[in-house]
Amino acid sequence: MATVLIENLTKIYPPTLNHARQVQALGGLNMSITGNVFVAIVGPSGSGKTTLLNIVAGVERPTSGSVRALQEGVPAQIGYVFQEPRLLPWRTVVDNMLYVQDRKSDRSRREAEFYLQMVGLSEVADLYPSQLSAGMQQRVGIARAFLVNPDVLLLDEPFSHLDALTGRSLRDYLQRIWLQTRKTALFVTHDVTEAVELADRIIMLRPGGVAYDDIAITLPRPRRPADPAVRDVQDEVLRRFDAMGAAVRFGTAQAAR
Amino acid sequence: MTTAPTVAPGSVSALSARELRRAAWSRWGYRLSVVAGWAVFVGVWYLVARFVFTPQQLPQPHVVATEAWDVLTQRDFSTNIQASILRVVAGFLLALVLSVGLGLLIAYSKWWRRLLNSLLLFIVSVPTVSFAILSLIVLGISPMGPIINAMLVATPYITMNLAQGLTGVDRRLIVMSESFGRTRPQIITGVLIPSSLLSILSGARLAFAVAWRMELLTEVFASSEGIGFQIRRSFESYDIRGMLAWAVLFIIIMLLIENLVFRQIERRLSRWRSPEVGTTQ
Amino acid sequence: MSDIHAYQSLPGLRQHDSRPAAEGPLTMRGLLRRPWFIRLVAVGVLVFIWQWVTWVNTRVPGIDEIVRFMVTEMTGGSHGGALTGEFWEPLSLSLQRYAIGLAVGIPAGALLGLVIGASRWARGLFNDTVLVLLALPAVVWAFLASLWFGLSSAGPILAVILTAVPFVAVNLAAGVRNIDPGLVEMSRSYGVPAGRRLRHLLLGGTLPSAFTGLRLAFMTGWNSLLIVEWFGATSGVGWRARFWYDALRYPGFVAWIFLFVILITVFDRLLLSPLERRAFQWNQQPTLTFEEEL
Repeated sequence: MATVLIENLTKIYPPTLNHARQVQALGGLNMSITGNVFVAIVGPSGSGKTTLLNIVAGVERPTSGSVRALQEGVPAQIGYVFQEPRLLPWRTVVDNMLYVQDRKSDRSRREAEFYLQMVGLSEVADLYPSQLSAGMQQRVGIARAFLVNPDVLLLDEPFSHLDALTGRSLRDYLQRIWLQTRKTALFVTHDVTEAVELADRIIMLRPGGVAYDDIAITLPRPRRPADPAVRDVQDEVLRRFDAMGAAVRFGTAQAAR
Repeated sequence: MTTAPTVAPGSVSALSARELRRAAWSRWGYRLSVVAGWAVFVGVWYLVARFVFTPQQLPQPHVVATEAWDVLTQRDFSTNIQASILRVVAGFLLALVLSVGLGLLIAYSKWWRRLLNSLLLFIVSVPTVSFAILSLIVLGISPMGPIINAMLVATPYITMNLAQGLTGVDRRLIVMSESFGRTRPQIITGVLIPSSLLSILSGARLAFAVAWRMELLTEVFASSEGIGFQIRRSFESYDIRGMLAWAVLFIIIMLLIENLVFRQIERRLSRWRSPEVGTTQ
Repeated sequence: MSDIHAYQSLPGLRQHDSRPAAEGPLTMRGLLRRPWFIRLVAVGVLVFIWQWVTWVNTRVPGIDEIVRFMVTEMTGGSHGGALTGEFWEPLSLSLQRYAIGLAVGIPAGALLGLVIGASRWARGLFNDTVLVLLALPAVVWAFLASLWFGLSSAGPILAVILTAVPFVAVNLAAGVRNIDPGLVEMSRSYGVPAGRRLRHLLLGGTLPSAFTGLRLAFMTGWNSLLIVEWFGATSGVGWRARFWYDALRYPGFVAWIFLFVILITVFDRLLLSPLERRAFQWNQQPTLTFEEEL
């Protein structure tokens, strides 16, 4: 069972040539995620969501505090889906997937094709990314993340660059694969409705990277966005999100709830 | 409920010493390494001049520097330098005029684009020395050779950038202008020219650098004055000191023109851009 | 210091159009638009300009004279007097020098470029030096090389190396720095090992600018080879051209210069361009016909 333990996590970016002031992305964040849960992290821009995922993935270092992503006591294998597809444009789809895969054999190619099929892309394995639409490229990104058999799955607003219809179909794909694999997932988004549709738990961050709220979602799966029960929960979460916005604006964020 | 914030946004205290050091390094360390780079360059030159070559074969840097200073204060420096600069400017301006015509043809006609593409590509792929030598027999020793050759090599760069600037204009801005009933001249001065100017300028900057080198090379072969001619004269009298001095002055003039003319124009033209786009260095 | 992107290739020219031209029925209009026909027109324009120049300036030999001279030179026939044709020896010597120079210069430049591109510190250290070397006219290198090494082959070889190195280095460094940082982050988050990163990420990402640098190195190297041979050698293509120039035999002189141009052009078309096209297979237009299924 995978665990992600975040203790007093702070990240401050020093001033740069283009940005004279230092920026606080995360301010003393505490979080504990255990087991095969789908956690959505929701917040407006500037609340340090991407920074959090980058630190969990080991791409960035925290200013202070600690992050541990463990699987049975050893460092967990990470699968990361980015906001943009981030595929090597000069490699074919299947080579892009094998690029992150440790074993190289017939079996791993078959595995790659299996996950491509899961996202509905069985025929594009030997095409180059530039030959695919944006939505298809993003699906390759999702398949790639599952290919490494991750203990912890990180998703950074994977649908935000796509049009609404494509985004909806990709959410369906994601939900279906997740139900089959049940990986521990951290899903970052600024879209509350999307979070309710996918997550077991929603953590709200406010600007400055401070946790504001933590909501459990107990709706049955698979969830359809049009379902009235889903709608109700979405409304409730949205209300809280708005309350956070008002609280931030009037400087009373800590007194919420 | 989760924890209260421990740090207010924007406070200084939470930056660790390591990160402060890293930020300082990114500012000053780079400049330091640039200075170190120059020191290494001059140092290696000294060592090679001292231990590998005789002073005739490779004079030490300070010898070249004093020689360059002497050349600068000589009277025939100004005649040579004037000749070179006037020629390259003449060639460059001719290329500019020619490029406007060719660039418009390329931007708006597919057939001309194909034809001119292959011609311009040919000009770019011809080694420059062949132009220099050919001008020796076609034009003889005359100031026309450097001018024509400078024009010849500068034209492809300006033309292609001009055409790219024109075709790269955001179509939506033109549609927007038309929907607000703007006239054709208004669209040309308001949208077309401003948005392609930067691309033209970057082409012009490159073209000038290429033309300046071409001009020098042509002077080496077919001229009786100018920097190139002086370099050749130094070479023929085994005067490496003089040759390097003229070469240093050649580079300095090129950098001066680039930074005082082209950079200034570019800065002026690119004010509307966001800072992230313009500052790659 | 001047911009590191200077001296890169022309915009818009190198983009390979991988789609084959539509071959419709051969009408007059269709013929006019065929790429080969347009190329033929381009060659015709060049030939016409040259013949016009010969007509204006009687010193300039016509193309027929040039070709006749080259044939005599190639077959070792007599040019009149004691002069006989000599072709393969100067040519093979020049090509040898060129090959040796590039074989040393390109790897050296590539190594330097990789170091400059990969480390900020190395960039500060070497950037300006490389740019000075780049700004130094090839003719100065050529003169230095011939003064240092006299009439031996070492001068031409050194000149080729010294002109090739900065072009490869600058372009490769720019290529390394232009690698999408998002892809680097992706590789790190998946823990992709260094060897595979080198092969797939670095190689793929720097290939376009590597080709630019390579092409420029080939061209400027060939260029300075001719200059050194013209001024300070007793063998090679440049020497042969100079020889006929000094003998006031302009057809011979022009014939060798033309040969010099033709060689590098053919080399570019036959070797570099196909390689480049192969390397950029991935850069294709979207070819998918089926719709994004919802």
